[in-house]
Amino acid sequence: MNEIVKEYSTQEKLQILADAAKYDVACTSSGSDRKGQKGMLGNTRACGICHSFSADGRCISLLKILMTNHCVFDCKYCINRASNDIPRATFSPEEICQLTMEFYKRNYIEGLFLSSGVIRNPTYTMEKMCETLSLLRNKYKFNGYIHVKTIPGASDELLGMVGYLADRISVNLELPTAESLEKLAPNKSFNTILDPMEKVSNTIAANRLSIGKDARMERSNSNKYLSNSIFATGKYVETKATNGNNTNKLLLPTVKTDNIRKFAPAGQSTQMIIGATNETDYTLVRTTQKLYQDYDLKRVFYSAYIPINEDSALPSIDTAPPLLREHRLYQADWLLRFYGFKADELLSEEKPNFNEMVDPKCDWALRHLEVFPIDVQTASYDLLLRTPGIGPKSAGRIVSARRYGKLDFNSLKKMGVVLKRAHYFILCNGRQMYHTPIEEAYITRQLVATHGKENWEVAHQQTSYKQMSIFDYQEIGAMG
Amino acid sequence: MRVFSCEDKFEAMMTCIYDAWNWALTNGHENVRLQREPIYQQSMFEEYEHVDADDEKVTKVIRSIRKQISDQAYLYVFYASLSCEEDALNAIYNFLRVGFAVGANVCSMYANPHVMRMMEIKRKIGNEAHYFREFARFSSLNNKVYVCHLEPKNNVIMIVGEHFADRMPSEHWMIIDDNRKFAVVHPKDEQNYIRYLTDVEMIALKNSEKYEDEYTDMWRTFFNAISIKQRENIACQRNMFPIWMRKHATEFTEKPE
Repeated sequence: MNEIVKEYSTQEKLQILADAAKYDVACTSSGSDRKGQKGMLGNTRACGICHSFSADGRCISLLKILMTNHCVFDCKYCINRASNDIPRATFSPEEICQLTMEFYKRNYIEGLFLSSGVIRNPTYTMEKMCETLSLLRNKYKFNGYIHVKTIPGASDELLGMVGYLADRISVNLELPTAESLEKLAPNKSFNTILDPMEKVSNTIAANRLSIGKDARMERSNSNKYLSNSIFATGKYVETKATNGNNTNKLLLPTVKTDNIRKFAPAGQSTQMIIGATNETDYTLVRTTQKLYQDYDLKRVFYSAYIPINEDSALPSIDTAPPLLREHRLYQADWLLRFYGFKADELLSEEKPNFNEMVDPKCDWALRHLEVFPIDVQTASYDLLLRTPGIGPKSAGRIVSARRYGKLDFNSLKKMGVVLKRAHYFILCNGRQMYHTPIEEAYITRQLVATHGKENWEVAHQQTSYKQMSIFDYQEIGAMG
Repeated sequence: MRVFSCEDKFEAMMTCIYDAWNWALTNGHENVRLQREPIYQQSMFEEYEHVDADDEKVTKVIRSIRKQISDQAYLYVFYASLSCEEDALNAIYNFLRVGFAVGANVCSMYANPHVMRMMEIKRKIGNEAHYFREFARFSSLNNKVYVCHLEPKNNVIMIVGEHFADRMPSEHWMIIDDNRKFAVVHPKDEQNYIRYLTDVEMIALKNSEKYEDEYTDMWRTFFNAISIKQRENIACQRNMFPIWMRKHATEFTEKPE
């Protein structure tokens, strides 16, 4: 049968391939700090820079595109699976480079996020991606941020080459257990995902050691002062990187050049789909913690499952994306990375899912009322961080300000403490803000009432209202 | 009460602080207020004194701040001088009163209301500068010169310009503050400089923003394609990208006919 092949314009390709890439969550440009250079274009900032916000409220930081949405794999949940009948297009390396350069000069984007469907075979696909990045860095002299998704099953040499060109590498875990992966992504296996992940993490560690840095990635400052955070324990990465006879687990540069770039200076990340299979939150948070400790990942992203394909193995097509659950998981992720919590403190076998009504930190505090109330003047930094309504910034401010004088509720508020949550748990000058009992039932009731609106908003993002105006009557009339 | 007033320029403000301080040494700090011009409504019971910039006094004030307090405090003072807040100059003065009394520790004394006010002002400047690092949009004039129009509340385009000088050193570009009528200009491979613009120049530059090419169009395409319908959340978008900042953002302006 003859296939009608239509040649798309760059704009049409951009429409198709950006649309196909939008389900990838990661769009961060953080973690890498690089100065600009004369004759080149671009720099990177450690804090990351968002350039716009799309209608779903997610930030647009990188030019997030697929190189192609042709795919030989048939992952059930994916819009680009081989069995779907959708328009397919492929960018040439030059097209991607030009788009990136021109967008970057107009300050639309912070860099490139390049992912791809699998065309022909993983190695061929990866080779094309590698070619694109090499063109962009060497011919176009692009010095901005590049995030590259690796293709499971590609060869190690290519993985290594890509790592020396990009700032961040990610391998998508997609699903947290081997069983779910086998069920929904028959062409992938846990091995083809974890193996490159391990190699990348070893190489990052070895590369960091070779330039005189600590083997582990930089973490938020607050972790320096926390003795029992998840990053304080587990020297897994270091021991593996320094173990000399383990070079087959390292990705060494294959091409000799004068200036070898750092290997993925912004680290590695991954992404998991939630809601497509029936894992509990406990499994997800435990997996997350393990990824941070053992593979030293910089970020783990969650993506609420959005039903786009009909399949007997998947939730039905009219399932709403579990946005509130995703939100709770991200809150837990932050608690792991910035607040010194551990997965087992947040959830347990008996209580495997997060409370829909209150956030995980409040939930923890309510189960540990014996440590509260705390006096802000004397409480330790890690206890301050564990108090609802106090974050790393305000805890830092409290610790430095209390050396020079007494704190009161007014100044706490100015420092950024969210008193509507914090006031049940803290004392200033030996007093509470209001006369409230330290009782689980009472505080839970109060917190649920204050959280109610926020939770509803997260779960019902689609519904939007606007203020009524007397000039709207025509629309109302039209509706009636 | 005596009110010392000056132009909205850094040098003038420093001189103003010098003169006010000098007067306050004999009359008390409580009886001084500093304000930037224009002063729309004078009150009956206050004396007003206009101060003009004087280089020698400027040097003295800066030297004292850096020596007796800290370089960080000087940075705060400089940031606050860019603020559009009504009481910014007075806040600087009050901050310096605390600063000269306690020294370098002043920057972490968050419980002191004067220090806290200074932090708030400084934070606002830093935040707005960061917003415009994100949301500034350049339009290309024949791929040779890149022009960006901004209307920030605070005077932040110098800070924004620093960022782009590092980012695009080998391009010609300029960032124009439409309200304050001046521009940060960056010639290829050279240093930034500031240029005050005349009305004629402003009119000539006004049209540069309307310049469209295939990439402005493609950016709009990309912007619309990347959003997920099932997760639409306009309120969140508005929180993250406030409407007043969208005035010069390509993706929110309609394509001209």
